[in-house]
Amino acid sequence: MQTHIISLLVEDHPGVLTRMSGMFTQRGINITSLTVSPCEKEGLSRMTVAIKGSESELEKVRKQISNLIEVVKVVDLSEREAIVRDLCLMKVHVKDSEARSEVMQLAESYGAKIVDAVLDAVTLELTEEPERIDRFVDLMRHFGVKQLFRTGVTAIGIGGGLER
Amino acid sequence: MKLSGAEIVVEELKTEGVEVAFGIPGGVLLDLYDVLYKEEAIRHILMRHEQCAAHAADGYARVSGKAGVCIATSGPGATNLVTGLTNANMDSSAVVALTGQVPTSVIGTNAFQEASTFTITMPITKHNFLVKRTEDLPKVIHNAFYIANTGRKGVVLVDLPKDILAGVADVDLHPKETFAGYKPNIKPNQVQIKRVVEILARAERPLILAGGGVISADATTELQRLAEFLAAPVVTTLMGKGAIPENHPFCLGMAGMHGQVYANRAINECDALLALGTRFSDRTTGWQLDQFAPDATLIHVDIDTAEINKNMPVDIPIVGDVKLALLEILKLLAKKSAKKSGSEWEKRIKKMHEACDSCVEEIPREGASVSDILIKELSKILDDDAIVTTEVGQCQMFAAHYYMTRKPRTFISSGGLGTMGFGFPAAIGAKVAAPDKKVVDIAGDGSFLMTCQDLATCVENDIQVVVCIFDNRYLGMVRQWQELFYEKKYAQTGLGITPDFVKLAEAFGCYAERVEKPEELKDALNSAFESGKPAVLDMIVGKEDKVLPMIPPGGGIIGMIGTERCKHI
Ligand SMILES: Cc1ncc(C[n+]2csc(CCOP(=O)(O)OP(=O)(O)O)c2C)c(N)n1
Ligand SMILES: [Mg+2]
Repeated sequence: MQTHIISLLVEDHPGVLTRMSGMFTQRGINITSLTVSPCEKEGLSRMTVAIKGSESELEKVRKQISNLIEVVKVVDLSEREAIVRDLCLMKVHVKDSEARSEVMQLAESYGAKIVDAVLDAVTLELTEEPERIDRFVDLMRHFGVKQLFRTGVTAIGIGGGLER
Repeated sequence: MKLSGAEIVVEELKTEGVEVAFGIPGGVLLDLYDVLYKEEAIRHILMRHEQCAAHAADGYARVSGKAGVCIATSGPGATNLVTGLTNANMDSSAVVALTGQVPTSVIGTNAFQEASTFTITMPITKHNFLVKRTEDLPKVIHNAFYIANTGRKGVVLVDLPKDILAGVADVDLHPKETFAGYKPNIKPNQVQIKRVVEILARAERPLILAGGGVISADATTELQRLAEFLAAPVVTTLMGKGAIPENHPFCLGMAGMHGQVYANRAINECDALLALGTRFSDRTTGWQLDQFAPDATLIHVDIDTAEINKNMPVDIPIVGDVKLALLEILKLLAKKSAKKSGSEWEKRIKKMHEACDSCVEEIPREGASVSDILIKELSKILDDDAIVTTEVGQCQMFAAHYYMTRKPRTFISSGGLGTMGFGFPAAIGAKVAAPDKKVVDIAGDGSFLMTCQDLATCVENDIQVVVCIFDNRYLGMVRQWQELFYEKKYAQTGLGITPDFVKLAEAFGCYAERVEKPEELKDALNSAFESGKPAVLDMIVGKEDKVLPMIPPGGGIIGMIGTERCKHI
């Protein structure tokens, strides 16, 4: 099963999210991540949905979602043609100064920022491809991850943009 | 213009050409009914159950080709609509439902008679609205009809909070504005059309499978022209009954689970299958898809992109309006010569057709087994324009198999949802849409008991429908499955002896008669029509009649059981 990322341009109305997620629910497909935000056009929002499923399954929901009246556009972003980002905020336990400097070094090599620090913990922020975040989080587990927040993926097609 | 929300709704309904609405009022709808009270252009028919209001609107839409309208109050009124709306949406019937809602200030507080109609009906409608501002009403009502009536037709619900109906706004009526993302795709692709024409022209054993989409697109004349040009036989789905006259020499009747053996054979044997406005439901295809047109190039024309390759992988998809597609195909075909008659395939079809007609005459029967005879009698007694609706169960499948439908929009049945209780209220809607036509509901005793309270509606509003009950005192279709597949353990399928349907009907003020033998049907039906009243005929049928042949669960279209009488092939 492959991860697919679908980008939807939808009318900014109450209920659109329920309609969209209902389509996945009816087919028993689990949404792995979902982001909703305003976009460049007024009155419209962009949703980025990541799901795991087979190609044919995805094709069927994609068409059904396109059928929704308030969905203006559906684009299937295979991960290769798109720039995919996830934002991660995480509190990592640092038991002593040695741990602290190791965490800071690793954070730097991953391009993560330290956004807060107390005596026994640092808070890190990393915006990256989801797989790289996975690896960074795994590393940090050696020190102890106290809290982890991820926004879920958002993605944009490379080149001239989605609105071909 | 300054108008109240209720006035805006009614003005927009009139602009949309609405002449009739089926509904039941309630507290939050008082403002709307207050405006309807004065309104002469819209006839409101007071139903006795909201489910019936939805079915009546559905029946009205299927017969008239215009959107049907139903109205229900908040909470229980709206939840009672749900079955009817689901039914209409499953069968792509254009229905606009207006529901009352508690005032916006208390939505979400479990207010008296509050139900979240908007979320409840989201998955069972094509689209729905919860109106939050009176000034949005013109756009919402216009779009409700536009969406219900275009593309693949369906149900649109508009939830109307009390304060929105009572509130006043300065609005421009009749806006044309729609949704950016809603583009009902209607123009078929030319390249695909050309490919289809080549395939059809070359095919040696072409076959057309006509679904409900052909009727809903008013493409029946085009279908018949194409069949005649290609000398191609036509089989239909349940929803497609009436797409071509069933006494047309090229019509092999309904295919599928309870279809004609020969229609299913033809699907199995054809080398090009043109499927029009159908979604390949399992009731049509059976479950062994390798028996479904294995040697054929499969062409699928449908207005809904999401139906392409959903249930059946096809070779050539055409997304678009069936009528436009057929016109294009006919135009290109006209440059080629019409198929000469006398091909092997035509001979084969003719043989199958004759066999089909004659086998029906030769059903071995025991005792009171008369269900099929009654339907054939109805076919003979009723004229070509008469409208038949059906309930669900054996009665429905006997009707589908044996009733000879001669015109489009005259066979109205619950296809996708299989809703017991649909036929009678649908008949009410049908009669209101076509007051000059005879309307008969082919009913099961179990089904009729689910919605029979609306006999009162018929009597009060002088709506003359005739309900012909197949009185077998069983939930017959379920009993049949118990007989065939569950060792005759008739768990909870016996209906006992009540009610006396004749007395029940008389209590409502209807004409009623018991029909003990098929020979009595003609006179009884004539008396019913002549009575000028809504009528109920209690037709006694064999308690353990089975509707055969059938594709057993898991079977394929050439694996029908109960085909003893189809040996002529
Ligand atoms: C609302 C609803 N409930 C249950 C069923 C399941 N069901 C399908 S056919 C049938 C029996 C119908 O009985 P009746 O109306 O007497 O018709 P018959 O089969 O006896 O002709 C039942 C219970 C259904 N289709 N619809
Ligand atoms: Mg029965």
